[in-house]
Amino acid sequence: MSRERKYAMIIDTKRCVGCSACVYACKTENNIPEGFCRDWVVSITKGTFPNLTMQNKSERCQHCEDAPCVSNCPTEASYYPGDGTVQINRDLCTGCKACMAACPYDARYIHPEGFADKCSFCSHRIEAGMETTACTQVCPTSCLTLVDLNSNDGKAEALMKGRDVKVDKAHAGTKPKLYWLK
Amino acid sequence: MNHPISDSGPTRRDFIKISSGLLASSTVLGAIPLNQLFEQEVYAMVADKIVPTVCELCFWRCGVDAHVKDGQVFKLTGQQDHPLSNGKLCPRGTGGHGLLYDPNRLKTPLIRETVDGVSRFREASWDEAITLIASKFDKIRDEDGLEKVALFSHGFGASFFKRLFKAYGIHNFTAPSYAQCRGAREDAFKLTFGHAVGSPEGLDIAQSKYLVLIGSHLGENMHNTAVQDFANAVANGCEIIAVDPRFSVAAGKAKKWLPIKPGTDLALIRSLIHVMVNEELYNRSFVKENCIGLDALKAGVADATPESTYAITGISPDDIREVARDLGRFGSSALVHPGRHVSWYGDDTQRSRAIAILNALLGNYRQPGGFIHQTKKYGVPNPYKFAVNKEGFKKFHSRFPLASQIPSNEVLEETIKGNFKAWFVYGTNLPQTLGDQKTTIEAMKKLDFLVAVDVLPMEITGYADVVLPEVTYLERYDDLDDRTYRKPYVAIRQPAVAPLKNLNAKPGHEIAAMLAEKWGLKGLFPPIEEYLDKRLRAAGTDLMTMKTKGVMVKEDNTIYRQPGEPLHFKTPSGKIELASAKLSSLGFDAVPQYTKHPENPPGYYRLIYGRVPMHTFGRTSNNRFLGELMPENEVWLNKITGLDLGLKNNEYVHLINQDGKKSVSKVRLKLTERIRPDVVYMAHGFGQNDPRLEFAYRRGASANEMISNLTVDPIMGGTGFKNNFITFSR
Amino acid sequence: MIEIVTNKLNPQVLPHLHVWGWEVPIYLFCGGLAAGLLIISSGILITRNEANFSYTVRLSALLSPIVLSVGMFFLFLDLAYKAHVWRFYTAFVLTSPMSWGSWLLMVFYPLAILQVVLLYKDKLEKYTFLTPIIDFFMPMKKHIAFLNVHIGSGIGVYTGVLLATFYARPLWSNSVLGIVFLLSGMSSATALMMWMAPPIKKRFYATMDMYLLSLEALAITALIIGGITGPENNHSAMMELITGAYAPWFWIVTILGGIVVPLFIETRESMGKVHFSPITPALVLIGGFSLRFIIVYAGQASPTFF
Ligand SMILES: Nc1nc2c(c(=O)[nH]1)N[C@H]1C(S)=C(S)[C@@H](COP(=O)(O)OP(=O)(O)OC[C@H]3O[C@@H](n4cnc5c(=O)[nH]c(N)nc54)[C@H](O)[C@@H]3O)O[C@H]1N2
Ligand SMILES: Nc1nc2c(c(=O)[nH]1)N[C@H]1C(S)=C(S)[C@@H](COP(=O)(O)OP(=O)(O)OC[C@H]3O[C@@H](n4cnc5c(=O)[nH]c(N)nc54)[C@H](O)[C@@H]3O)O[C@H]1N2
Ligand code: SF4
Ligand code: SF4
Ligand code: SF4
Ligand code: SF4
Ligand code: SF4
Ligand SMILES: [Mo]
Repeated sequence: MSRERKYAMIIDTKRCVGCSACVYACKTENNIPEGFCRDWVVSITKGTFPNLTMQNKSERCQHCEDAPCVSNCPTEASYYPGDGTVQINRDLCTGCKACMAACPYDARYIHPEGFADKCSFCSHRIEAGMETTACTQVCPTSCLTLVDLNSNDGKAEALMKGRDVKVDKAHAGTKPKLYWLK
Repeated sequence: MNHPISDSGPTRRDFIKISSGLLASSTVLGAIPLNQLFEQEVYAMVADKIVPTVCELCFWRCGVDAHVKDGQVFKLTGQQDHPLSNGKLCPRGTGGHGLLYDPNRLKTPLIRETVDGVSRFREASWDEAITLIASKFDKIRDEDGLEKVALFSHGFGASFFKRLFKAYGIHNFTAPSYAQCRGAREDAFKLTFGHAVGSPEGLDIAQSKYLVLIGSHLGENMHNTAVQDFANAVANGCEIIAVDPRFSVAAGKAKKWLPIKPGTDLALIRSLIHVMVNEELYNRSFVKENCIGLDALKAGVADATPESTYAITGISPDDIREVARDLGRFGSSALVHPGRHVSWYGDDTQRSRAIAILNALLGNYRQPGGFIHQTKKYGVPNPYKFAVNKEGFKKFHSRFPLASQIPSNEVLEETIKGNFKAWFVYGTNLPQTLGDQKTTIEAMKKLDFLVAVDVLPMEITGYADVVLPEVTYLERYDDLDDRTYRKPYVAIRQPAVAPLKNLNAKPGHEIAAMLAEKWGLKGLFPPIEEYLDKRLRAAGTDLMTMKTKGVMVKEDNTIYRQPGEPLHFKTPSGKIELASAKLSSLGFDAVPQYTKHPENPPGYYRLIYGRVPMHTFGRTSNNRFLGELMPENEVWLNKITGLDLGLKNNEYVHLINQDGKKSVSKVRLKLTERIRPDVVYMAHGFGQNDPRLEFAYRRGASANEMISNLTVDPIMGGTGFKNNFITFSR
Repeated sequence: MIEIVTNKLNPQVLPHLHVWGWEVPIYLFCGGLAAGLLIISSGILITRNEANFSYTVRLSALLSPIVLSVGMFFLFLDLAYKAHVWRFYTAFVLTSPMSWGSWLLMVFYPLAILQVVLLYKDKLEKYTFLTPIIDFFMPMKKHIAFLNVHIGSGIGVYTGVLLATFYARPLWSNSVLGIVFLLSGMSSATALMMWMAPPIKKRFYATMDMYLLSLEALAITALIIGGITGPENNHSAMMELITGAYAPWFWIVTILGGIVVPLFIETRESMGKVHFSPITPALVLIGGFSLRFIIVYAGQASPTFF
């Protein structure tokens, strides 16, 4: 019995150029139908000409520790597999959309086939023993890193060391697991 | 709808929008529509084979792995070992299947025919099309001589046609990647350092401690490895100075954004040089040892004080001094990026010269964080000796004294004068690429014969007499890619899938071989696999190995200068020429001087343009997969300016330029803080105007269409695109 | 100045959440109405002399499961994966109101229908197979009614709690919403009965509805104040409802037409000043209906907080 994992993603917005390769890579990796996406890019520009700042963010499901999508799912279709991620069992999903109403990050969509869908942290790749997710792999600026917070490889610490680390909408109380390096 | 000849002069070459029935067929010729392809499986698909090959979505040529299931490419990922990919891709590279399965792809050879005064295409067999081309060229050879033929090309696949034409006796080769792209930069660096910057650029961005970007919008300019290096620089705390009228993505990462008045960059660079030489901030030993013309340089920039420059550029004297002093402080670990698309204002050789000089003063030549040497090749010998036939060929003499290639725009002029009778166009969409559409079209109409080899019914094909459909890069072999990016490598492009059954398209090497055969040129095109295998064996490997590995890489320890290693430069003086005797001997400034460019006419805004991450010019504009995130371009205008004009964010407007040229289609307006009040910005490549491109047709507006004024570089013939001005109409 | 640009595609969350259309408000309305009807029927059974209310006590009991079934049908229509509807009953999730709701219905139907059977005893004599059941449960009639009052209230509250637990949707995440929907459901049911009831009973229902509407008005006031005084997000969401695009609809149709006007008329009816008009119940029903619509729509439109 191997130890329990706790996957999270650390995203270095200083590196991100907002190119969307991560979005395209996800679409081909996970067969996302036309018109939908599991990840997306938000570009935030603040200030007035010529005093401006810009931040690019590649967003996706936050794999919350206290996930309202799970607690509000009437069928246990949304669940915690125990590796720190939140997954969806399509065979149990009724398409009732309670999870979508519950998600403070609007991270989900209803697949044309009827089930709710969202970022899986590419569980199928991890299970197949691959290093990391499709978006992380493709990213030309290497600003996405999938980490296991339970491991002692020191990866997460190294990335966060001396950086200003943020999470989105902390007050939603869902304990999100995308960590943003400013 | 067809085009009656009568209303457009005595030429057969009207733009064929749709020839009867062809649009209909070209819609059904659609290979599997994307959504169908991707919704066949709701879970991630597992490839039954992974084929390493080389990307052609742009000209960087990364190594990609094509993931194939049931004979279909469903995913493209970056090759781990390829020096240009490192396992990663830019957004465009992930979307190659969007081209492969584009339902609008060219289906079969087309021949223009004129039936009772109406010019239209009819579908033809390969043999008929090839025979026609062969005989036409023979006729021109016999009547006018082959110097009356020009090959326009862009893209890796062109190599076979160059081989063919050299053997046949055509040597006038031109490409928009010269006079419309990096030509001025390369010639300027040859004048200064004795060699070009080259592509992929030999820049040690990743190690750089201080990086000055003059226009170069890395991050939007998505050359995969360049962006990887840029991100590493940012992460390593490299201080970035972004000189750009627009708050580019790179500017968003910069310590300092200098929103320069467009067109005044040369003035700014001269002033940086001025401060560096006058405050002796330059690398003394390096300059003493390796450069000539310091005094001439000092005298040549004497007038470029930060104060006088402020009035021209709008960049404050303090900023100029700060940047110059920081450059001095960081010295050889600082880098002033030479840019890539430099055909801006017609003074581009001199501006690039000034950048070269600035780098010389830093002494960053072959130093970590500066310029690096990428001359060492992997070295794949060519055991074949292909015939070259120059007999009786009168070499083309450019009217531009230092043009190292034939400027495409000069070929247009000469065509209009009647000095070119036929063009063979491979992989370049001239009507959307050369600016000044009027001249481009006039030249094409003047031609006796125009052949276009393309994958899509792009605008150029609408002007052709014969259109030859090539298969995409995912369906074909090309020659070996033997280049260097820090490390010398050789990579192979091979078919990931067989050519689509429902199309009658062929790989470039087969097309060239068919022509060779018609012309009775023997031994030019051995079977492609045999050819590749023989070359690879000469390099100590073989085709089988390469088909599985995709790429072979060597080490190179010469990219940096060894301590004490003497430097020799292939310039007339053998040294780095801060002042160029060659230029002055030709009547140009030995030291770059700033000349004023036209100002905005009242009520008009200077049109500047650039790249967007998910598209390559127009070549991806019909790619439904890539288009999903950006189906059209937008025109940027400063928010305050826009509101004062009573314009609304996101409203669609027509563009009208200084010559009264009105954009064919409307374009969405983006009112933003991210741009100077006196310019408008748009991504190049949209507003494609051929209805056979059912997705791209008139989505967004074409910047090229608005560029009716070219400011030609007198030194090498580059076409400055940025002296054009826009106003809006609803 | 802030410019936010995104290339997100998912239409169901852009520009804001809109996963629930007209089906869900109809379901919520029917749910509330059915709950109200069951409560009325059972309440009367417990507190009043049945013979006295023989008509409405039976009618309300009969209508309740029917109305709820109509509601359920619309809920079914809303499911994106209809073939998996049965999955609601392969799990019970403590934290999911929707799960509670589904199971509550499992209790509702048998008991509500049992009540109908007991009340319509005389009409059912020819179905002899029912006789043993009827004879067995008849003595417990009031106990069953007592249970049904609670089940009814449960369902009434559920229709509001379902939304109230969505912390991500500031307009909904308001503890009073359950009570508002319950009271609205009860007043709707009462209004319906007032309509159906024989003339002599109308005044009774008018009076009862008068009290219910007043309570509902109070609850809605609490809802609004709770929103306004709540944290930034809840505040702006509530302001959006009462001053924004939905305001006219909310104030005129729901509050004025659905509560104030009928309340006024009913007061006078209960004092015998005017005699009964079918307009009153119609207004109350429309008001209750529009309340569900407006809350469901405005609730999705109010953006997830930043
Ligand atoms: N995604 C993507 N990437 C590409 C390409 C593509 O098509 N798509 N094309 C590739 C090719 S072939 C080339 S040549 C390169 C070109 O890429 P670059 O050489 O980086 O492009 P530039 O010509 O520098 O022009 C773009 C930038 O210059 C700024 N600019 C405009 N006018 C001025 C001016 O007067 N002064 C200054 N300082 N800045 C100005 C614009 O605001 C914009 O930010 O991109 C390559 N990369
Ligand atoms: N107005 C304006 N003009 C410009 C520029 C600009 O920014 N603005 N940029 C300049 C620069 S930097 C450059 S490098 C040039 C680029 O100029 P082009 O190379 O002409 O630009 P593309 O739009 O890529 O045109 C490529 C053509 O090749 C076709 N093609 C794609 N793949 C294949 C293939 O595998 N085989 C064949 N046979 N054809 C193929 C495409 O369908 C398209 O018709 O444009 C220059 N011109
Ligand atoms: S691929 Fe990487 S750099 Fe590009 S948008 Fe996604 S995260 Fe940002
Ligand atoms: S982000 Fe949304 S979908 Fe993802 S776990 Fe959190 S609540 Fe669930
Ligand atoms: S839509 Fe599916 S996953 Fe979401 S709550 Fe309903 S059943 Fe659960
Ligand atoms: S982790 Fe996988 S599923 Fe999630 S966004 Fe990235 S690629 Fe898509
Ligand atoms: S940079 Fe992008 S488009 Fe160009 S070759 Fe590489 S992956 Fe392909
Ligand atoms: Mo270029």
